[in-house]
Amino acid sequence: MLETRSRAASLRGLWRRSVGSARLAVLSQFEYRFNLIADTVIQPVLTAVVEVALWWALFWSIGTAAGLAAGEATLGGFGRDYYLSYALWAAFFSRIYASWMYEFRMTEEIDTGAVNSILVRPLGFYEYYLAQFMAYKVMTAAITLSVWLVFTQFFDSQTIFSRLPLALALAFFHLFLVHTISFCIASCAFFYNRVHSFTVAKNISLWMLSGELFPLDLMPEPLRSILINLPFACGVYVPVGYVTGRFGAERVWSGFLSIAIGLVVFGLLASVLWNAGRRRYTGQGA
Amino acid sequence: MSPVIVTRELSRTFRTYRKPEGLLNSVRYFFKRDWQDKVALAPTSLEIGGGQIVGLVGANGAGKTTLLKLLCGLIHASAGDARVLGHDPAARSPELLRRISILLGQKAQLWWDLPAADSFDLLARIYDLDLAAAKRRVAELADLMQCTSLLETQLRRLSLGERMKMEIIGALLHKPAVLFLDEPTIGLDIVAQSTIRKFLATYVEQEKPTVILTSHYMDDISLLADRLLLISHGRIVYDGTVEGFTARTVTRQRVTLKLGEPAGSDHDLGGGQVLSRGAEIFSGDYPAAEVAKVLERVMQVARITDVKIEETDFEDVIRTFLEAETPRNPATAASPVVG
Repeated sequence: MLETRSRAASLRGLWRRSVGSARLAVLSQFEYRFNLIADTVIQPVLTAVVEVALWWALFWSIGTAAGLAAGEATLGGFGRDYYLSYALWAAFFSRIYASWMYEFRMTEEIDTGAVNSILVRPLGFYEYYLAQFMAYKVMTAAITLSVWLVFTQFFDSQTIFSRLPLALALAFFHLFLVHTISFCIASCAFFYNRVHSFTVAKNISLWMLSGELFPLDLMPEPLRSILINLPFACGVYVPVGYVTGRFGAERVWSGFLSIAIGLVVFGLLASVLWNAGRRRYTGQGA
Repeated sequence: MSPVIVTRELSRTFRTYRKPEGLLNSVRYFFKRDWQDKVALAPTSLEIGGGQIVGLVGANGAGKTTLLKLLCGLIHASAGDARVLGHDPAARSPELLRRISILLGQKAQLWWDLPAADSFDLLARIYDLDLAAAKRRVAELADLMQCTSLLETQLRRLSLGERMKMEIIGALLHKPAVLFLDEPTIGLDIVAQSTIRKFLATYVEQEKPTVILTSHYMDDISLLADRLLLISHGRIVYDGTVEGFTARTVTRQRVTLKLGEPAGSDHDLGGGQVLSRGAEIFSGDYPAAEVAKVLERVMQVARITDVKIEETDFEDVIRTFLEAETPRNPATAASPVVG
């Protein structure tokens, strides 16, 4: 009975801390208004414009080379309009999984010793930043989605809107994995101090592995099957493919499973790195 | 009553590397680092009882902050163990963390982007406090420190002294049983120092937490501490009362006298002191009890137009104490001087 009460109190405490940390993230974003607008509107719009332009140009070239109109050319069995839709929604979902800002902060805090303010409090570093990260993403995704929904009214985006909720659920579940990977990288700061280059390398890798750069089914086998079944594809390729009708819900449910497996793997790594790093930590500079 | 803090042969060694200046050395040492071990805290055993206010004093790099960081679990020990309120601080158990607090002078622990009021709301949730009660406590503490009007200003826009007041409120919000204060008044102007000292004195009198306080300012220690630990090169070399330490050391003052005209000739002032011919300024360090005699002797041979008397730097007081302790071999010293 005591253990149950203690567990309930512990969960209640976790909820309160998470709500507090989430609130902190939202309040902080509202302090810097221009940055919020740039992050939720300007950046995703620019990304969409660049990617749409890229695919438009590509199909124009393919069409010209094959003596076809750009709209008649196909690539991997899909036409230009499909790829333009993919690019549009890839720009939206890629903004959700991007974690460099919070990863940078976590790394800097460990490097500079500012993490002390977390270590002396009954608050986990992982949970603290997870709550902030999720709150920030919910807020910014809601703003960006409202802009995207307006965009899609002006041209045929081949979007199945009824599929958006499940796609978003997958994208947000994927964020737990993204955060865990960020936590692993940040923990490396205990050993190497400056690890921003790890973040850059990870981001470049995810740019391809997530399907943000191009749809993963353009890859040759067996690479295609491997990449699609990795959890990283759930960042962009799976939710975008589902929303644009490329495949059905079975791919999404596989995505949930692969993320869960990824969480176990990276969670173990995170735990090892953090505990080893804490033993080395000198707290100097703070 | 069992002690609140117990350490047994607690020590910490840091591994650092040296690198001589220059580009060539940077390239050379890129491939092979010259690692060195530095003993920041030698094996230390001590016990601190509940409600005690301990002043931890030492020169820069002596090991004060290292000891504090070990006791609040920020860093792990290289050897030995520590218990704070019965818990291993390095394990970071929530039960312990809810009952301790650390205030690091000049280091922001509140959230830079937010007004302090929002930070306190978050702290209340972190420490699982009743929000309404926490708000009342914030109002009470802010009123005591006369900073209520600053609660809604972003922390980054406050001055250092104002930020420190907010940091103190944040550190005391959950009524910690053990309070670690690491140079709480460093860098503050005299008025802010005085305000914070008075507040802390009132607070410890009322709430009776166990306090470990490090400071370079003797005023912080003499006003607050009832026990003094002097640490030097990672070892505790004195453990006793402030009065006992003061009695052991001779307080010195620096005297600077401006003469109306240059001294016409060398004057032997007695006690090895000489006012040299042509000197326009006479200065020296003297025991406080002898300053009047020095003034009298100089006035007998010269006209004084300006007098400046300063307390000797606290580091010099410590150095004087350490020099007096030199015959005791530090390498074999197993126990500190107890006052």
